[in-house]
Amino acid sequence: MWDQVGQTLKESTVRVVSRLAGLLPGTVALLIAVLLAAFLAMVVAFVLRRFLRRIGFDEQLDAWGFTGMSQWSPGNSPSELVTRVVSWSIVLLGFVLGLGAFDATLTSQMAFRLVDYVPNVVTAIVVLVVGVVVARYIARNVLIEAVNMNLQYARLLSLGVKWMVMVMAIAMALDHLQIGSGIVHLAFGILFGGIVFALSLSVALGSKELVSRSLERESDRASAPDTEEPFRHL
Amino acid sequence: MPESAAPEIGEADVVVGLVPPPRDGDALESAIARIVSVSLPMRAVLVHPPYAATASAPPANTEWQIVTSQQVGQNPANTVQTLEDSFRAIADMARKAGARACGLIASDLSVVTPRWIHLLIEPALSQSFDLIAPCYARHPFEGMINRAIVYPLFRALYGKQVRNPMGPDFGISAKLLERATGGSRPRAHPLLSLATEAATSGMKICQSHLGPRAYSPPDWTALSSLLALVLGPLFTDVERYASNWQRARGSQPIPEFGDPLFVSGPETPIDVTRLIDSFRLGARNLREVWGMILPPSTLVELLGLSRRDGGGFSMPDETWARIVYDFALAYRVRTISREQILRSITPIYLGWLASYANGLGSLDSEAVEGRLEKLCLAYEDTKPYFVARWRWPDRFNP
Repeated sequence: MWDQVGQTLKESTVRVVSRLAGLLPGTVALLIAVLLAAFLAMVVAFVLRRFLRRIGFDEQLDAWGFTGMSQWSPGNSPSELVTRVVSWSIVLLGFVLGLGAFDATLTSQMAFRLVDYVPNVVTAIVVLVVGVVVARYIARNVLIEAVNMNLQYARLLSLGVKWMVMVMAIAMALDHLQIGSGIVHLAFGILFGGIVFALSLSVALGSKELVSRSLERESDRASAPDTEEPFRHL
Repeated sequence: MPESAAPEIGEADVVVGLVPPPRDGDALESAIARIVSVSLPMRAVLVHPPYAATASAPPANTEWQIVTSQQVGQNPANTVQTLEDSFRAIADMARKAGARACGLIASDLSVVTPRWIHLLIEPALSQSFDLIAPCYARHPFEGMINRAIVYPLFRALYGKQVRNPMGPDFGISAKLLERATGGSRPRAHPLLSLATEAATSGMKICQSHLGPRAYSPPDWTALSSLLALVLGPLFTDVERYASNWQRARGSQPIPEFGDPLFVSGPETPIDVTRLIDSFRLGARNLREVWGMILPPSTLVELLGLSRRDGGGFSMPDETWARIVYDFALAYRVRTISREQILRSITPIYLGWLASYANGLGSLDSEAVEGRLEKLCLAYEDTKPYFVARWRWPDRFNP
């Protein structure tokens, strides 16, 4: 009996070791692919960083109106953000290529599905970044205009608009990632409607006195004859 | 402009263009009648928008040739041109007609008299001035954007005491016209840049006292748009002519024509509560936006000011001058969107307005002039701060 147990153990060990030995070339290939990708990523990052600095990418981005980007970037530099995104993408690509080297059906399928999913992730990130930038820009615009119109609830209005755009951007990003699309649609509807409803309520009920005072001032000003206004700006 | 338009008009010594803001045919017709009633000892052309019934039928015994801007090549389908389009069309016509001087009237025509034409054209013809800027008779609270920002900033930067650098009524020599409308450098607004162009290129500038100017009722909700409209071209010129104004020191008065007039202001005290409330609202809500434009020390000063009560509310002129300079710099480096920069100055401007009204002890002309002079000197004294920040926007940030 002991001979049989020993034999089984031996066979099992041989099987495991031979399996492991079979995995070794793939593992080495994966390691080499990742290392090569990391090296390539470093070179590309170095070149890209120098190129973006030379063309004044950060300043150009500011000039195009994407001023919020720097606050969301490492080291307050959008160039650094772009460089890191590109270099990590190369590392990820190397990893996926390395997975394919195992030549196993499962890993190959996984690798292909992962590659297929990459565009969705990239699109979702772009949607999210653009959404954040647009939300901040619109919110600032609303805030400035509301203050210039003497609206006491200017900040509330600006915050509401900001979160409406943000919620929309997040919902769109999740939709691209194909994460719980039905739930996301429903949640988006509820959240978006909720924000609008909350804004209406806070303006109509919560800030009733504030708003009525503000509106009274506005109507007093509108009904006052022009002769009472001594200033002429032009 | 079609090539056929110039031969129809022929040669002229003087071209006067009317670019009234509203589409008021009656006011335009009566202004045309008033202007052409004056006999000029030279060949003169009057260009007016096509919405007046008066066409090319000049009264007898006049040297005036009357044409509509439609005839000089502006789009007949679009009778309401922008000020810039109208200026370009009139300037183009004046150049082709070989005019020695061009007058441009862009104010409300109800108060325009033949004397305006004389005062705007004569210095160019007889004394070879290149730019004749207007001086209006105003009460102490009129033309406040000009008093608070445009005039002091222009004077401090370019060194010429031009009271209304942005006109809008001007007398212009053929030389300046050629320079302002030709050349390869595109201008944000050639009419609003006339004074800057003349001051930076060493041309002869004077100003004429035209008398009162009519104003439309104020629209408070549009104040930020108005500020953006005025400050945009002004700050663009500051950027364009940076190499010129950094060399200029102090300011010099310029020759004046006509008699200065003063319109007395309201007799009752001005209530500035609403202005201060607007400033406080801005200080409460726009701290983050102002923080991206103003250096910390100025921001702290503004926040401290917002906590003061109405009677003691006073914004020092030096602070206000530094704020305007900071906004001009932010406009250049585009800290945030340019439109947002220009619009976010509104509450601070209203705060300065309250401070100006509070600080104006008497409303007579001497007191008002003294107050304005003090502000202008504050701008001039603060100019080194602006030059330093302009040269090193990141390093020099007190």
